[in-house]
Amino acid sequence: MSSHQEQVLALVIDKIRATVNEDWIADFDIGLETRFNDDLELESIEFVKIADAIQAHYGNQLAIIAWLSGKSIHELIGLSVGDLVDYIAGTLAPAQA
Amino acid sequence: MARILFSVPPLTGHLNPALAVAECLVEQGHQVAWAVHAKQIRDKLPPRAWVYPLDAEDADGPGIADPKVRGLESVRLFFEDYTLPIAERMLQPLEASARSFQPDVMVVDHQLPGGALVARKLGLPWASFVTTTASILKMSPMVDAWVANQYRALQGRYLPAELIVERPDFSPHRVLVFSTETLMGDAHARVEAPYRFVGPAKGDGRRKVDFPWDWFQADKKKLLISLGTVSRDRDTRFFEVMMAALAELPEVQAVMVAPESLAAQAPANVLVRDYVPQLELLDRVDAVICHAGHNTVCEALSRDLPLAVAPIRDDQPVIARQVIDAGAGLFIRHGKVSPAVAKATIEKLLSTPELVANARRLGADLRAAPGAAGAAEAVLELAQQASEPSLRKVA
Repeated sequence: MSSHQEQVLALVIDKIRATVNEDWIADFDIGLETRFNDDLELESIEFVKIADAIQAHYGNQLAIIAWLSGKSIHELIGLSVGDLVDYIAGTLAPAQA
Repeated sequence: MARILFSVPPLTGHLNPALAVAECLVEQGHQVAWAVHAKQIRDKLPPRAWVYPLDAEDADGPGIADPKVRGLESVRLFFEDYTLPIAERMLQPLEASARSFQPDVMVVDHQLPGGALVARKLGLPWASFVTTTASILKMSPMVDAWVANQYRALQGRYLPAELIVERPDFSPHRVLVFSTETLMGDAHARVEAPYRFVGPAKGDGRRKVDFPWDWFQADKKKLLISLGTVSRDRDTRFFEVMMAALAELPEVQAVMVAPESLAAQAPANVLVRDYVPQLELLDRVDAVICHAGHNTVCEALSRDLPLAVAPIRDDQPVIARQVIDAGAGLFIRHGKVSPAVAKATIEKLLSTPELVANARRLGADLRAAPGAAGAAEAVLELAQQASEPSLRKVA
């Protein structure tokens, strides 16, 4: 993982923890393999809030919900933190992350 | 006298409303027959019911594929491994049953698309029964397109091209929804269909269950905790967390529907039973902790009870959101909740007047809805129109 990706991952984890804001999430080990449905039990409405928080940080170069709408149901079910990090890091120029 | 053919899946939450409506119709002297998976539900139908078995050729009846999955994955598996295979296998036996019984009208559960396709092919008047409002809402364009694709493939193997539609599960004549528009809210758009909201069926017809009523103490607050019939045996973590929380709340008594093996570790104020008389219990408790199953939610709100909802699968996240948005419920994350959060949630559930006030508002609405009697009336309207040739093409 590049330092650019590492910075994006840290930001994504931070936004997940702040948005969920329950006791278990503070100690929950979140990594690239962590899946939103199976591992975090997040509803889509919560995912949207996390996406909004990330976009508020990076600005409008990102279109996370539009990116998501191109996914198949199988991709959505298996969606991981790493998938989101790859999209963000790939969309942003390294200097901005 | 009208002839009415019911076809519903062998699942408790779908069968119970149909039983209540059929009872109304039989009481009025109409002829009801059931085209169902008889191996699984024959004993739940009235003793002298007229039954066309759909599963004569199946070694085993259909089973929910994987009880452990959660969220969107359970929706995908419910379609791919349950609803669609059942539909394929029931088309021929149901078509033969319908040609034999010659119904004036068919009643088809919305999650039994095989029934919907037969009614469409034979040109019969039919009503869809919708037992959860999650099914009529447009949740996301991607999921909606996926559902439409599943249905298109199924229809293509059975119906002539001119009869193929985007959502064959909804009758073009009447779609009866066993909920209210107040509970459903307006967070999502609906699929276009001729809806009538009749509220919960309210009928009972369920088997009697013994319960030690003298266990309750008059001076305690009382809770019912249930995850429903599909998820009860999923895993014990949730129940163990609830017991740990309740051990520190001696002023509360809770009946927990869970595997009875947990009884040995239950604190004195928790009674573990693997099956309960739910409607009678709801008349006695102050609040409910549940999986947000549509029937349990409507039954609790009909009695003005606030809920804490821990959704797991299928329509439950959508129904849980309706209860929370209406101000009558609190959220619990099923697989993550800790004893400390559970304790705080129970305390809030039993001490927040706004939750009760909103439960009462929804309860008044649910009680005012016509229920099974209103659904029976709508079915009969279709039967009467059936004498008009425009609605009846083939059968």
